[in-house]
Amino acid sequence: MKLDRDRPDDEIPTSSMADIAFLLIVFFMITTTFTATRGLDFALPEDDDDPPVVEKEESVLIEILPTGELIVDQDPMQLHEIIPYLKPKLERNPKKPVIIRPDTATPYKYMVQVYDELRQGEDHGLAEPINISVPTQREIQSFWY
Amino acid sequence: MKLKATIEHKPNIPTASMADIAFLLIIFFMLTITFEVDKTQVVLPKTTLRYEIPKQSAYVSIDPNGRIRVSDGNEQSALVSAADEVLSMAAGVIAMDPQKVFVVKSDGEVSWEKVDEVIDALKRAKVRDVYLLSDQRTVTDG
Repeated sequence: MKLDRDRPDDEIPTSSMADIAFLLIVFFMITTTFTATRGLDFALPEDDDDPPVVEKEESVLIEILPTGELIVDQDPMQLHEIIPYLKPKLERNPKKPVIIRPDTATPYKYMVQVYDELRQGEDHGLAEPINISVPTQREIQSFWY
Repeated sequence: MKLKATIEHKPNIPTASMADIAFLLIIFFMLTITFEVDKTQVVLPKTTLRYEIPKQSAYVSIDPNGRIRVSDGNEQSALVSAADEVLSMAAGVIAMDPQKVFVVKSDGEVSWEKVDEVIDALKRAKVRDVYLLSDQRTVTDG
């Protein structure tokens, strides 16, 4: 009896796999854009029609002029001087609100600079995060006057 | 004299691991890819603190000329004429997903008044989580 030894090849053809894979790589390389996907979190308080009333005297007011100059509680101040100024006040009352109030013409970057500095309060030796408030113009007009 | 028989070696490049390397690269790109929903060209403000923004966040961008564009995080950003349109868009997005994160991508030179309008619109739309997109501040930035 003659046995048939011409068995078909049972290998999976993988020669084109690298071609397909590199095609996919090229697609992903072209479509990928490395963008800035990091930022500063800015949790908004709930829009309350009856927010808690904060007396101006109880809070610290940081005004930002269009030139980037800072007026903290009526006194001109440098950015790096804010935390040392706040430290004794916040040690007495850690919940003391710190209000950032930029002028409408102030470039946005100066507001972000101050907000970033205040957010680093704990790195500068404060026990608790600073209670930062950035009221919008509508809120200022509705509740401050 | 006895001559050595010459053994011919076929030249070949070992390609067995090429597919493995290629698939490794594909997996890397698949994990890192984020489809950009907003292509507005801005010079971002610089901050020391920067946190990773969740993927598929909604975007509100303000270009140096004060033009506002919005995106729900899935579709490409579209130009809007006023901050009130940001409110209606944000309210719609929040109605679908109350936990939706919004990103404010504004040029650093834009006046606070413009950004304030956008943030106020987001507040009124009951948005809770907002990120201010920024670049890394370094020691040389002063």
